[in-house]
Amino acid sequence: MSQNRVASHTGAAIDFTFNGKAYQGIAGDTLASALLANGVDVVGRSFKYARPRGIFGHGAEEPNAIVQLGSGAGTVPNLKATQIELYQGLQASSVNGWPSVNFDLMGLIGAFGRLMPPGFYYKTFMYPKKLWMTYEHFIRKAAGLGATPVEADPDSYDKLNQHCDVLVAGAGPAGLVAAREAARTGARVIIADEQSQFGGSLLASKQQVDGIAAPLWVASLVAELMAYSNVQMLPRSTVFGYYDHNFLTILERRTDHLGAVSTCGTRQRLHRVRAAQVVLATGAFERPLVFAHNDIPGVMLASSVSTYVNRYGVAPGNKLVLFTTNDNAYQTALDWQGTGREVVAVIDSRRNPCGEIVAAVAAMGIEVIAGHGLIEAQGGKRVKRALVAPINEAGTQVTGAVRRLDCDLIACSGGWSPAVHLSSHTGAKPQWDENIVAFRPGNSKQQERSAGACRGTFDLQGCLSEGASAGADAALLSGYGDGSPQFPQIAVEEYIEEPQQALFLVPHTKPTSRAPSQFVDFQLDVSASGIELAVREGFESVEHIKRYTALGFGTDQGKLGNINGMAILANALDQTIAETGTTIFRPAYTPTTFGAIAGRDVNQLFDPERYTAVHRWHVEQGAKFEDVGQWKRPWYFPQQGETMQQAVDREGLAVRNSLGILDASTLGKIDIQGPDVAEFITRIYTNSYLKLAPGKCRYGVMLKEDGMIFDDGVCACLGDNHYLMFTTTGGAADVLAWLELWQQTEWPELQVYFTSVTDHWTTATVSGPNARRVMAKVCTDIDLSNEAFAFMDWRDGTVAGVKARVFRISFTGELSYEVNVPAHYGRHIWETLIAAGEEFNITPYGTETMHVLRAEKGFIIVGQDTDGSMTPADMNMDWVVGKNKAFSFIGKRSLQRSDTVRANRKQLVGLKTLNAKEVLPEGAQVVFDAEQKIPMAMQGHVTSSYFSASLGHSIALAVVKGGHDRLGQVVYCPLADGRSIAAEIVSSVFYDPKGERQHV
Amino acid sequence: MFNGIKLESPLFYFQTSFNKSAAADELFNAEAECGLVVKEAPLSAQLILRGDGSDTLFCAAIAKTLGVVLPLAPGTYHQQGNTSIYWLGPSEWLIIEVGGQAQKIEIALRKALKGHIAIVDVSGGQTSINLRGAGVATVLKKSTVYDFEAWDLATPISGCAAQTTFAKASALISNRSDGSYNLVIRRSFADYIALWLLDAGEEFGCRIEQG
Repeated sequence: MSQNRVASHTGAAIDFTFNGKAYQGIAGDTLASALLANGVDVVGRSFKYARPRGIFGHGAEEPNAIVQLGSGAGTVPNLKATQIELYQGLQASSVNGWPSVNFDLMGLIGAFGRLMPPGFYYKTFMYPKKLWMTYEHFIRKAAGLGATPVEADPDSYDKLNQHCDVLVAGAGPAGLVAAREAARTGARVIIADEQSQFGGSLLASKQQVDGIAAPLWVASLVAELMAYSNVQMLPRSTVFGYYDHNFLTILERRTDHLGAVSTCGTRQRLHRVRAAQVVLATGAFERPLVFAHNDIPGVMLASSVSTYVNRYGVAPGNKLVLFTTNDNAYQTALDWQGTGREVVAVIDSRRNPCGEIVAAVAAMGIEVIAGHGLIEAQGGKRVKRALVAPINEAGTQVTGAVRRLDCDLIACSGGWSPAVHLSSHTGAKPQWDENIVAFRPGNSKQQERSAGACRGTFDLQGCLSEGASAGADAALLSGYGDGSPQFPQIAVEEYIEEPQQALFLVPHTKPTSRAPSQFVDFQLDVSASGIELAVREGFESVEHIKRYTALGFGTDQGKLGNINGMAILANALDQTIAETGTTIFRPAYTPTTFGAIAGRDVNQLFDPERYTAVHRWHVEQGAKFEDVGQWKRPWYFPQQGETMQQAVDREGLAVRNSLGILDASTLGKIDIQGPDVAEFITRIYTNSYLKLAPGKCRYGVMLKEDGMIFDDGVCACLGDNHYLMFTTTGGAADVLAWLELWQQTEWPELQVYFTSVTDHWTTATVSGPNARRVMAKVCTDIDLSNEAFAFMDWRDGTVAGVKARVFRISFTGELSYEVNVPAHYGRHIWETLIAAGEEFNITPYGTETMHVLRAEKGFIIVGQDTDGSMTPADMNMDWVVGKNKAFSFIGKRSLQRSDTVRANRKQLVGLKTLNAKEVLPEGAQVVFDAEQKIPMAMQGHVTSSYFSASLGHSIALAVVKGGHDRLGQVVYCPLADGRSIAAEIVSSVFYDPKGERQHV
Repeated sequence: MFNGIKLESPLFYFQTSFNKSAAADELFNAEAECGLVVKEAPLSAQLILRGDGSDTLFCAAIAKTLGVVLPLAPGTYHQQGNTSIYWLGPSEWLIIEVGGQAQKIEIALRKALKGHIAIVDVSGGQTSINLRGAGVATVLKKSTVYDFEAWDLATPISGCAAQTTFAKASALISNRSDGSYNLVIRRSFADYIALWLLDAGEEFGCRIEQG
């Protein structure tokens, strides 16, 4: 039996290690309760001063017991020991304290802390600037923020999108009854609580509820809720964010309590909940009191001491001194007495405490010292004694002799602070209430209401009534029930409490600036004197004070320290707390793993990969792939031992000399039907389609209103009132949206319907001098002669036994047939063409070869050679602009703007390097004078650049200022490595300038 | 010359995919169903129909030709035998006939319909899959933000349908009278969605089969 375990509390033994040392806890323990049971006093070192720190609280508020869990890939930094359920083999270590928490080098240096007053970042480490990185590294190491694993996370996380009528955040007394009232109306209810068990404060309560012990009452209520099929119960689940439109996020820890790395299923699940109505029942945090050396291990919250005793059977000490400003904390004296250990005294700041529980404590023979403050704790790594002195009624001055009380445990309570965080996330501004000495939630900004302690109602009877009303009300407003609770009143046993005193900073015999440190924020070592110093230095706003002192910046986000900090600030500014206000709480309520936010959108599921119907064949052939939008397109097909350049050279020569085949299925395809199609697309494209006959195709360019090229492609007339528009692979969705936009908003009188058919068709393009021969082998019902089936025609027919559309379109400049079949036949048509082409050494080629071949022909790629600032004239494509169309076309007017007609615009040209083997880097800047001093005058840039095997030299496309008038001029591309490549401006059409090869 | 033409539906390469997790082994014995069964109804005829739903002649011609009443209420579908029609928008519907031939349907409709209409064969570009099993509701929650619990129950002749995001792709999702769900997905996203479903169904045990 561990030294601090209450004898009657038993359970299965669990082995664990902390900072390398083996310990034993029992089933049901948290790491914190197990450490306390084993008498571990020091669990970490503080941020700035490296002072030894012990466990202070028992939940999300814990500022000190911050640990690193596990090791290797599964390690998790910065967890609170109070929230870690113990499991067999758990390994934890302090995130701070080097070389060890018990012998801390930094603590020994000590004086280091004196270098770090409030605002130390700003004051001390700003200059010299170049040393900042060094400082930061040192500060971070000193601060002990834990270590993230360097390996990939072996765990799995996912997300669930949930919808409910009533979401209840918190399963304490108020939340549980709220859920029950909502559940009985038939509303869909989700109730979440961050702890492993539902019940909240009742789990550690000795009270009777509805005639039975509180934990038993909780168990029966939980069983009742489980029986409802419309209730989803989420233990170990923290509602950590409340966003607009009643969207809330819950982090469910599914396997963290089972071991370091989950072996089955999802470690954590993010619930994204859209709730019609929300009940916030998040409870309250007990507030510590700010007295000298209140951070020594052995100082704890009163409610935490009670929780460890009552729920975990752990008595963390022997001799207790209780320091309180209120009746509520007296319960801790009774609970401690119940363990058979000594209550040295109860120190009450109030002059004349006279509540029922005060009398009950006095009746047990416990000394109650009223009108006193516990002004200082003394001890090193554990409390040894408390200094107690009479204080004035306002609680601002010590008024008499100091008395010493030997003890090893100090429990303190300055009252309770409602957990208004979630309400605050909605934008509701917390309101200070003098009567309860706390901030209550502000007016609702969303469909939510608070109930119980988080609303400032601290008596159990009140919590249960409010919870019941809130549950019934939320159900009613989401369309269920009549709004009246079934159990408005539940019998409970509790003491009637007298008012508490508003006391935050406890006076010392010395002024605050001289007194031993009185800590406000334990995790970041913010002291009362630090806040007062910040005020003396001129800070007034609570938000500025927060940033200057780092108050509330730790992983506990100031759950304990904030209110005390505001109060001390208000006092220093000589104003009320209401006037001072509070900082704004933002999501996340507690730290949340990135893994849960990413969910399953990782690795192969990170982004969809779109495949054509021929994809598997490409994979089997060892193709390298290129991402084009979300599509995976074959980039090139390397043969054994080939480099990329060798493969591209081979593929390109095959197309020029015999036969190549390209999977062009990814091109966007839009089917357009209706009596006004020709008119409509004539307004969209720069050229006219009014006279395009069925069986014919035409290349077009479309512009945005600003006259800049937006997409291009071929449009085919399939029949009367029926066209097929091809778009670029990446532009397909945008073009369809563009067409719909103009039809629906500007030209609704034009009768046209658009349907995307991109996925329906597989497109196999055979290209090269032998294209007709291979087509003749697989297609017998189309007359393939140049006379019957000319360039830019299309025909219906049967290819390889499949009904197909065949287009004579060419992006290579060679004789080409684009064979389109429904995608179910995709692989069949592909493999048939490959087999038929064998005698011509048919060569599959990828996007890289396609790019080289089209660049040889000077064909642009929208988005590569254009960038949204290029007109057709800039691209030397005036021929595609219909000047005499009856109706305007989109972008026409902009082509006459002064800027679009000015000389010296960047214009598309070809570049031929003087050294034929040298390939310009794409993106290289073009200058006219290589010797010019920096900053050089940039005259353009390279948009496409390749080595052309067909031509035997490198080729590039570039946009150059006034380029169309500069043919023959030599320009330079200065590179980052200091070299400068000289190139001659030439025509952008390098190969077959008359375009004869595609017409054969 | 081209005998034995091989057709490949979008999930052709997943026909035998089977994904059974360790956890699922405990939940389901060998004879029991997987928690998620994905079954493709491959190679059905799928056509987009455009037209004016307020035109009673149009509606009557559809009903007469297809034997299914055109659904005019947003988010619904109608079904008779192997043919179903899904409402996609105010002037847009999807016709699916399991085992049907798109070309036949198109010819019949063009004969029956007058005025400004469009009929587009999209059979090659999409496929229908059915999701059934104890894990379906959770898998849908993992995959979409839509609230399917708010839907009316489906009957053998009608039900609810929604076009919505599915993981990072999209799907037309509808409920069936047997409690299962149908998804119409795009061909190019089918591999991604199949991988997603195998992953999402892993905790229940998951398999993909072809009907």
